[in-house]
Parts: sequence; C-alpha cells; structure tokens
Amino acid sequence: MHESILAFRKRRYLWLALILSLLAIAAYLFDDPQEPANGGTVLGYTLGTISTLLILWLTWFGIRKRRYSSTVGTVQGWLSAHVYLGIALLLIVLLHAGFQFGINVHTLAFVLMTLVIVSGLYGVYVYMKYPGRVSANREGTSRPELLDQLEDLDRRSQRVAKELPADYQELVSSGASRTQLGSTLWARLRGNDLSRIVLRDDDQTKVVANPGQEAALDWLAEQQSRATDSESAAKIGELSALLRNKRRLLKQIGADLRLQATMEIWLYLHVPLTAALLMALFAHILTVFMYW
Amino acid sequence: MKYLIRFITTNAAGSTEHSDKIVDAPTITIGRATDQVLHLKDRRARLQHATIEQQSDGVHITSTALGGVTVNGRSQRDMRLARGDVIEVGANILRVIEAPDGIDFAISFELSGAASSEHFVTDWSAAASGLGGWSKRRISWTLVIVVAIVALILPGVAFEKFWLAGPVHSAHSSTASECENCHVTPFQRVPDDACAACHKVDRHVAPPATAVLGTTRCASCHLEHNEPPQLVNRHQGLCADCHQDMPADSTLEDASDFLDAHPEFKLSLLLPSVGEDGATEWSVSHRLMSAAQGADQSNLVFNHAVHLDESGIVTPNGRRVIDCAECHVPEPGGARMQPISMDEHCSACHTLSFDPDDPSRSVPHGDPEVVLQSLIEYYSARLLGDDPDAVAQRLRRPGQALSRAERDRAAAEARVQALEVAEDLFERRACTNCHQVTQIDGADVPWQVQPVRLTESFFLHANFSHAAHETEVTSCDSCHHASQSESASDVLIPGIENCRDCHGSALTHRNQSSQTPSTCIMCHRFHYASKGARQ
Repeated sequence: MHESILAFRKRRYLWLALILSLLAIAAYLFDDPQEPANGGTVLGYTLGTISTLLILWLTWFGIRKRRYSSTVGTVQGWLSAHVYLGIALLLIVLLHAGFQFGINVHTLAFVLMTLVIVSGLYGVYVYMKYPGRVSANREGTSRPELLDQLEDLDRRSQRVAKELPADYQELVSSGASRTQLGSTLWARLRGNDLSRIVLRDDDQTKVVANPGQEAALDWLAEQQSRATDSESAAKIGELSALLRNKRRLLKQIGADLRLQATMEIWLYLHVPLTAALLMALFAHILTVFMYW
Repeated sequence: MKYLIRFITTNAAGSTEHSDKIVDAPTITIGRATDQVLHLKDRRARLQHATIEQQSDGVHITSTALGGVTVNGRSQRDMRLARGDVIEVGANILRVIEAPDGIDFAISFELSGAASSEHFVTDWSAAASGLGGWSKRRISWTLVIVVAIVALILPGVAFEKFWLAGPVHSAHSSTASECENCHVTPFQRVPDDACAACHKVDRHVAPPATAVLGTTRCASCHLEHNEPPQLVNRHQGLCADCHQDMPADSTLEDASDFLDAHPEFKLSLLLPSVGEDGATEWSVSHRLMSAAQGADQSNLVFNHAVHLDESGIVTPNGRRVIDCAECHVPEPGGARMQPISMDEHCSACHTLSFDPDDPSRSVPHGDPEVVLQSLIEYYSARLLGDDPDAVAQRLRRPGQALSRAERDRAAAEARVQALEVAEDLFERRACTNCHQVTQIDGADVPWQVQPVRLTESFFLHANFSHAAHETEVTSCDSCHHASQSESASDVLIPGIENCRDCHGSALTHRNQSSQTPSTCIMCHRFHYASKGARQ
C-alpha cells in the first residue's frame, strides 16, 4: 500500500516537528533575558545551535538518499522527517534571531534559508500533485509508447507522401526530422513547440515555424483546395488526418515533458540555494564570534 | 540566390546515390537547430554553426562557433569558397561542386555514418540535463563563491557594516566607525579597556555593588547591536536578582517588583535642630511615609487650602483664584520644582508695608535687625527731614540749626515710633502670617524669626520627573491633594499606592490594564559612586 511521505508512519515526524516547535515557542515566551531577544542570549545560543545542527542534518539528506546500502532508516522516512523538520527550522531560527533583521550577513543567511524552505515546500507540492497529473496525461501509456506512436505516424505519413509529388515528400520528411519540443529545461517548462518545416512557396525554399503542425496543415489545406483530381485530394486529406493526429500526440508529449521538467526545476533552486546557505551560515557564525 | 544541395548516400550494396535539392534563399544556414536550412543531426554541431552567403568578392562561409568551421583541414571563421573546397562540421562533410546552369552555387552533402541518424525524438525521454547548460553542481558552486565574496571577502575589504549584527546606538556612532575600536581582539569579547578609552568607569559603580559584580564586564550589561538600540539595561533582573533577597544584616529591605514587592516609600525630610550655640541646623532625616504625616518642619506657616480656595483669595488687585503653577514652577527640564521665594512668589500679595499714610513703603524681608533699622531710619528721616509735620520742623526756627539735645530727642522719638510699628509687624500683622516669631525680652531687637527651609527633594534615591507626568489625566491635586492641606507640616508627597494607580509590575501580565509595566530603572539608578544626599 502506497503511503505518502507526509503521512509516513502515522505522521510521526509531524508530531516530532510540532513538539520541537512548541518547546521552542514556550522557551521563547518564558525566557526573560536582560536584553531584547536575540541570538546572543542563552536561549539564542541554544536555538542557534539546534538550528545549525538541523541544517547540517537536513543537508545530509542529499547524501543519505544516494546511499542505497544504508540501513539508517528508510529514505521515505528520512524525506518525511526532512520535510517536517525543515518547516520547523524556519520557526526555530526566527525565535533564535528574536525577529531582528537587518541588511547584513546574518539576515542574508536567513533569507537564503527561507528560500530553501520555500522551494522545498514547492517541491513537496509538486511531488504530491504531479505524479497523478503525469499519469492522467499519459492516459495509461508510457513515454516510450507515445514516442513509438509518433514514429509510427511519421512512417505512415511518409508512405502516403511517396504517392504524391516531391514537394509533399519534402514536407513530410522535413516535418518529421525537424519536430522538436524544447531541448532545454526552460523550453520544456514553457511547453514550447519548436518544430519547423521546409516549405516550397513560389519556388522559394523556406524553413518556417511549425508549432502544432499548423504550417504543414495550412499548406496541405491550400494544396487540397487546388487539387483537381479526386484521388490526390483524398491522399492529401489522409495526410492531413495523420498530421492532425500528430498534433494531438505532440501536445500530449509536450505536456508530459512540461510536467517532468516542473518536477525537476525546483531542485535547481533547492540544492544550489542550500549550498549558498551553508556558506552564509559559515559566514554568520564566523563573524558573530569574530566580533563577540 | 539559387543554391543546389546534392545529398549523397551510400546504399547497402556500397554504391552511392544522390538527390538534388534546389534552395532559393539569400543564405544557407548550417546547424543543429531545426530552423537551419541544412539541418544536421549531429551533437557536435552547434545550433547555428555556419552560414554560406554571397559577398561582394564571392561566396563565403562564416562561422560564429568557438572553433570556427574546418575548411580543407584548417579552422576558419570566414573564408571565400572555391570549387573543390571541403567543409567539415562535426562528422558531416560538404564539398563545393561545379554549379550547373541556372544555379549560383552548389555543394554536395555526404551523410556520414558517424552522424546520428536517429530521430530527434529519442532524447526527449532523458531527464532535463540542466538549466541553460548549468548543472546543479555548477550553480551550487557559483552561488557558494558569490556568497563567500558578498558575506566574507567584500565586508572584510570595504563594507564592514555588512557584518553588523544590529544597529549601533547613536551615542556610539562616531566610535563605531571602526569595529576594532571596541572589538579589540578577534574572537574575544569586548574588554572593559575598550569602554574605558572613552568612559570614566570609576564613578559608575559604588562599593557595595563592586563586591557583588566582581569581574563582570561592562558589555554584559551595556549591550550594543540590539533592536531597539538600548545601552542601558532596564531589565527588572538587573536590580531584583540581588535585591529580592537581601542579607539579614542589610539595612535595605527586599525589593523585587514595584507592584507588590516594594518597601513603603521613605521620605528624606529636611528637619531643623538647635545646636549648642543656639543656631538652627538642618539635616536630612529618613522617615517612612506612614510615620511622616505632619512631620514636615520647615518652620513656615502656610495654609494650602486657603490659597487654593475655589472662590479665590483676596489680593491687592481684588479677589482672584490662583493655581499651583503660580508658585510651583518646574525647573528647566521639568524634573523638579524651582525653589519658592518670598520676593518672587509671596510679596505681590503679602506686602510688608507699615505706614497706612504711605502704603508704597515696605520693610525689607529678612533679618529682624535690618527690619528694625530700616524703620528707625524711616522715622528719623521723617522727624528730621522736610516733612512739615516732622518733629524737627516743629522745633526748629528758620535759619537755625538743631541743637544736640534737640537731635537726641528726635532720634529717641523715631526709635520709639519704629519699635511700635515693628511690634505691630512682628507680633500681629505681617511676619506671623508666615513665620514663627519668638520674643526675646531685653534684647536690642526683641524678636527672633525661626529660620525657614523647605525640603526640595523628598526622594534622594529615586528619580521623578514632573514633566513626564504632565498628562491629560493628571493634575497637581490628583497626586498632592494640596487643596485639603491646612498646615505646612503636612507632607503632600503621595505614597506608593498613588504611584501604583498607573505603575505596575515589570511583568506585563501581572498588571491591570491601567498599569504600565515599570522596572526598577524607571525610578532608580544602578549603584552610583556619587549616590547620596544632593548638595
């Protein structure tokens, strides 16, 4: 039975995080230091130490998840704890700082940490929602099957085009080889259809954009209207039907790529920002004690 | 411009086949992108690798790729093409061939076996390989370096403020221009010497506290870089940590919270005593508030109630209501009140005139001897001067000087008159209004006025500012109740209960809504060496 990372083992890490948060809040409320609450009081140092250890442990998840032979808990459990304790960290650090902010190294570390946590929350959202959307979009098939269908459509189109003049063959073969749905992560995220096609128009060879096979279908429609014999008109019609199928398929594949890219993009913030956070944390601790 | 591209393929049998394609376009673009005229399915080719176009001196191939394009085995960025030239892009080989009639330029394109002939679709299933060519690792390291520069290197060189843990108090703004002025040694707490460089510390902490404080650093109480910026520790614990549990032999009572753990107020009353030589001496006496009612001994006779009568008081200018501020004027700064003086505050109504025929004439306020002397001089002048009723006038004939006997008689008469008037002033009319006057039989000046001194500060060890209490809801009388006081011996200083109407515990949650949280430092100061009676 599948168990969500959020519901892992009766939400035991949610309770752990809640207890930790409540303890920190209670300590903050009952603490009465002889100065405004800040990182330099006894409680401030305590919460700062807890936060530092938490950050190091949360970062360790990136290593633990790759240690396939490790038996220290399950990766699922680690991720569940990673999520809940990561959220608790935000509160503990706020209490550590006594809600004091400024334009300085210390707040830089806080801002980076907040960005890491927010990107992580987005990651949780994506991991909760997107696998379902991917399945729904694929309609019970897999990505290789979708690509096979695409190749099959291209092959059938070429077979039809062979019985038509060379221009049609050029149209179909260039349309097949120049089909592209974004190679970079960014293009995938935006779901751009970068497909192009080579057309001959007034004896000019042109490479034109062909998103959703529109250019090809328009050209075919125009040729069909000019067609004089019914046989070639029927073949052009068959070709159009195949390209319309291809359009639908490309849309599906594009959505698949976009969903996959969305599930990956947040890690491009989460991981590098964590690295930046570790550096800022080092600077924070170093300067605090350098100017003790 | 018409180009011919001849595609050459080698079939399974080993023989070559070719198909021609005529392209009518201004340029032939070559690259991996799908919008290129010659579309190469080769990862080694750039998206836009090279361009073939007509220039003034012939057909050129240009390339913006890093390594240019290989023509005849040499890397080139821009080269005029001639028949027979061999162009290599990745694994693809193009040759410049003889252009047939009607064609401007012709190339042949060999589809290499090494070039990927797979459908471009296949690599879509791979995970996205980075953000614009940037892997997570590369972005991470870049950010780490950026943060290291911004957070560690730049502040160390030029922008040290970026290391500040909080704002510097304005009092330290000039000192704090250099962090090292206070943070003398890295990784060591701010030493007292750093404070002593500007501050004279010896007058700060008085002996009883130094014994307790020991080696406590200045900066453990006087903390910088906090928000809100505050250098004075106003925390209840600063005092209460020790004073909540004083040793048994201490002269001080326990005090830990103004709301309900503060001793009754003690007043510092200025009280007179008569010394061995008969002179009055004044000394400060500390009395509990409850034991101090009616204990003020300023020697003044004064009735606040009469002066503050709602229907007014008779003055030389008619009946008039007077208010407290006419006599009690705050010091500049508003903490205490300026001293009361006869000349400034009383004399307008309490004139010291003595001659109903000449009401503008008055005796000076002060020493009885001076008063009597001024009266004698006045009456002597009248008897001997130009006054037609004067004794001298009656005795003297025109052009004749007074004899010695006549003068002595006049002087004696003047003294008698002066003593009569003085007796009236000292014993019945003027002085006794405000002063206690004793008669001394047989003396030259047979009256003695008890010296008057008013207590100016009833609380020597607590700060109180009238200015801070001047609010809409308070009036003088709401604390001092002067309008009901009929005797100058009344102590009109309010007790702790009066303060507690508005001032409560340091802990907000213990207070009623009308009470403001009040810590010790609100009224008291830390052990000052200069602590003691104000001089």
